[in-house]
Amino acid sequence: MSDSEASHTAADGSPEALPETHDASPAESDSSSPTTPDNSTDVAPTRKARRRPEAKPEAEETPKAEEQPAKTSSETTVSQGSWGYWGSWGKSILSTASATVATVGQGLTQVIEKAETSLGIPSPTELSAQVEEEQQQQDSSPVHDGGSETDKAAADGPSAVGSAMGMLSSLTSVVQSTGKTVITGGLDALEFIGKKTMDVIAEGDPGFKKTKGLMIRNATLSQVLREAKEREELQTAETESSDSEKKVVAHYGMLFDEFQGLSHLEALEILSRESESKVKSVLTTLSGDELVQLRGELDHIKDSFSLVEFDDEEVDEKKDEDGSEFERELMEAMEGLSVSATADKLTKACKSTCSQITDMNKPQKEEEEEEEEEDGKKSLSVEEVHAAAIRSLAELTARSIELFHKLAEMILFSNGSAEPSVLSQLTVVLCKEISLLSKKFTSCLTSAGSNEKRDVLNPLITGVFLEASNSASYIQDAFQLLMPILEISHIQRRSESSEQ
Amino acid sequence: MAYAYLFKYIIIGDTGVGKSCLLLQFTDKRFQPVHDLTIGVEFGARMITIDGKQIKLQIWDTAGQESFRSITRSYYRGAAGALLVYDITRRDTFNHLTTWLEDARQHSNSNMVIMLIGNKSDLESRREVKKEEGEAFAREHGLIFMETSAKTASNVEEAFINTAKEIYEKIQEGVFDINNEANGIKIGPQHPTTSSILTSGQGGQQAGGGCC
Repeated sequence: MSDSEASHTAADGSPEALPETHDASPAESDSSSPTTPDNSTDVAPTRKARRRPEAKPEAEETPKAEEQPAKTSSETTVSQGSWGYWGSWGKSILSTASATVATVGQGLTQVIEKAETSLGIPSPTELSAQVEEEQQQQDSSPVHDGGSETDKAAADGPSAVGSAMGMLSSLTSVVQSTGKTVITGGLDALEFIGKKTMDVIAEGDPGFKKTKGLMIRNATLSQVLREAKEREELQTAETESSDSEKKVVAHYGMLFDEFQGLSHLEALEILSRESESKVKSVLTTLSGDELVQLRGELDHIKDSFSLVEFDDEEVDEKKDEDGSEFERELMEAMEGLSVSATADKLTKACKSTCSQITDMNKPQKEEEEEEEEEDGKKSLSVEEVHAAAIRSLAELTARSIELFHKLAEMILFSNGSAEPSVLSQLTVVLCKEISLLSKKFTSCLTSAGSNEKRDVLNPLITGVFLEASNSASYIQDAFQLLMPILEISHIQRRSESSEQ
Repeated sequence: MAYAYLFKYIIIGDTGVGKSCLLLQFTDKRFQPVHDLTIGVEFGARMITIDGKQIKLQIWDTAGQESFRSITRSYYRGAAGALLVYDITRRDTFNHLTTWLEDARQHSNSNMVIMLIGNKSDLESRREVKKEEGEAFAREHGLIFMETSAKTASNVEEAFINTAKEIYEKIQEGVFDINNEANGIKIGPQHPTTSSILTSGQGGQQAGGGCC
C-alpha cells in the first residue's frame, strides 16, 4: 500500500504549477523582510517560511487523487495546538503520504507562531496531555484503520531503506523535541528532496511507532539524541545477528556519540540550565528601574540570538575543495574567542572530509588499494559513500557542539564578553559548511550510483540530506543554549563594573 | 556496543596530578608526557565487563585548576563514581584532598563511589606521600584506595574497574536506584527480541570490544 502510494506521489510531478494558498503569503512577506525588528523571528521560521510553498502545493494536489478521509484527518489535526499536531504527524504519514504533506504545510503557520513566542521546549506534561488528546481523535477517525495497515506494511518494509532508517528515526525524535528543529531541519531537506522524503518516511521508518513514548519522556535535546542512538544500537545488534551481509550501515546517532558529541551537548545543557536559573534568581532580587534596565539589556542579548540568517542558496558546491576556506571563515568568526584548540579539531575533521570527497571524485584514475577489479569503474559502493557522508556529518556536528561547549566554558571562566553576533556568525559558518559538504557528498553518491536503481540510490541521498539538516538543527540548538550563558556573564561583568 | 549499564564517572583532583593521563591510559592505552591543560571538562568512554555484563563507562575528566572549580562543580551531579587523584610526589596535592572530598560530597549524590588514587607511583625516588598515608586517609573517609602510574599503566585498569565493581555491587544490594538517572547509572537499551538473538548479538560485540 505504501509502496503504490509512494510511487504515485513521486510520479505526480510539478507541484510548482499550483497556486499558493492563503496562509503561505503572510509567511512569504516574513521572509522577504526578515530584518524588520517587530518581526523578531529566529532563524527557523525565516527559513521555514521560505520553504513552505514548496511543500504546500503537493499537499493541495494529491488529496484529489487520494481518498477523502485522509484530507479530513489532516484538517482535524491542524485544528489542534501546534505541538499536538506534531504528535499526529507519524500517524498521518503512515496513513497516506499525501495527507502528511498537507499536514506539514498547514501546520507550519502554527509552529511558526509557537516558535515566535517561545523557543523553549514544551513541558512533558503539556506534551503528553496533547498526545492523549490526539490519540483519542485519531482513534475515532476513520483513517485510523488504514493507518495501522500502512503501519504494518512499513514495519516489514523493504530492506533497501534499511540504511536510511537510523537517521529517519532520529528525525522523528527531533520532531518531538522542538518545533523549531523540525522547521529548520525538515523543510530544508524538503527543498532538496521534495516528494521522495515523504515516500521514504512512509515506507521505511519504524521510529514513528516509538514517537509517542518519546514525546512524553523527553525534554532535552541530548536525551532525544541518546534515545535515537540507543535505537540504532538495538537495530545494529539485531541486524548483526539476523543478516550478516549488511555491513555498511551508518548510524548517525551512534557515531555522534562516538565523537563525544552527546557528552559535550549534555555538559553544555548543564551549564545552560544553571546559568538560566542564576539569571532568574538575579532578576527576582531586582525591582523598579534596575529591573527594567537589566531586562532591557538581556532582551538585547536575546534579540541577537533570534536574528540569525542562514541562506543556503548561497552555498556553491564548487568552492572550497580542501576546506581551507572554511578554516579561514571559522577563524574569522572565532576571532577573540580563545578556544583555538577545539577549533583546530573541527578544521582538521573538515579537511579530512574534503580530501575524502576529492578522492571519491577521481576514482577512475587511481586504483584504490582495497578495491578489486570486479566492480569495474566504481571504487566505492553507494553504501560506502553514504556511510562516509553520515560519518563526516556526525563528526563535524559533534565537533561543532564541542566548540560551543568550550566557548560556554571559556565565557563563564574568563567572564569575557563574547558578542552574540560573533557567535551567530559562527553558527552560520558551521551550518553552511554542513550544507556544502552534504551537497558534495550527494553528488558523489549520484556519480557512484549511476548504475544503481533509483529506489536504492534515492533513500541514500535522502538520508544524507536529512542528516545534514538534522546536523544544522543540532548546531543551531546548541547555539541557543549559549544564550543564558551570555546573559549571566553579562550580569556578572555588570556587577563587577558597578563595584569598581 | 550495546551495554547492560552505563556508569558516569568524574575524575577530580589538583591540576597536574595526571587526571587526563589516567583517562588516556585507560581509554587509549597510551601515555602522553605533556598534556594540554584541560579546559572545563573532557570526555572518554570505554566498555568493560563485570560479572559477564557489558558496562559502559562514561568518564568526565574535569579541569584541576582552581579557577575552573565553579564550572566543574556543575558536572559532579549525576556521577556514579569519582576518581579522586593526588600526586605522590607533591604533598600539597595530598593536603588538598579534604577540600576536594567536601566539594564532591556536597555536589553529588551521597551514594557516589569514590576511589582515592595516588598517581605517579613510577616516580618512587621523588615520593613525598607514603602509601600508608593514602590508605589511612581512604580508611578514615570510607574510600577505596590504589596507587597507580598512568605512565607505566600500573593499576590504571584496576582503578577504573574496581570502582565499577563497587558500583555494581551497590546496584545488586539495592543501594542505587537504577531508575533514577541522577545516580549516574543508566540501564542499556533493552532488547525487545528473544534471548537467543540477544546472546548472539552480544557475542559479536564482545569480540569487537576486545580489539579496541
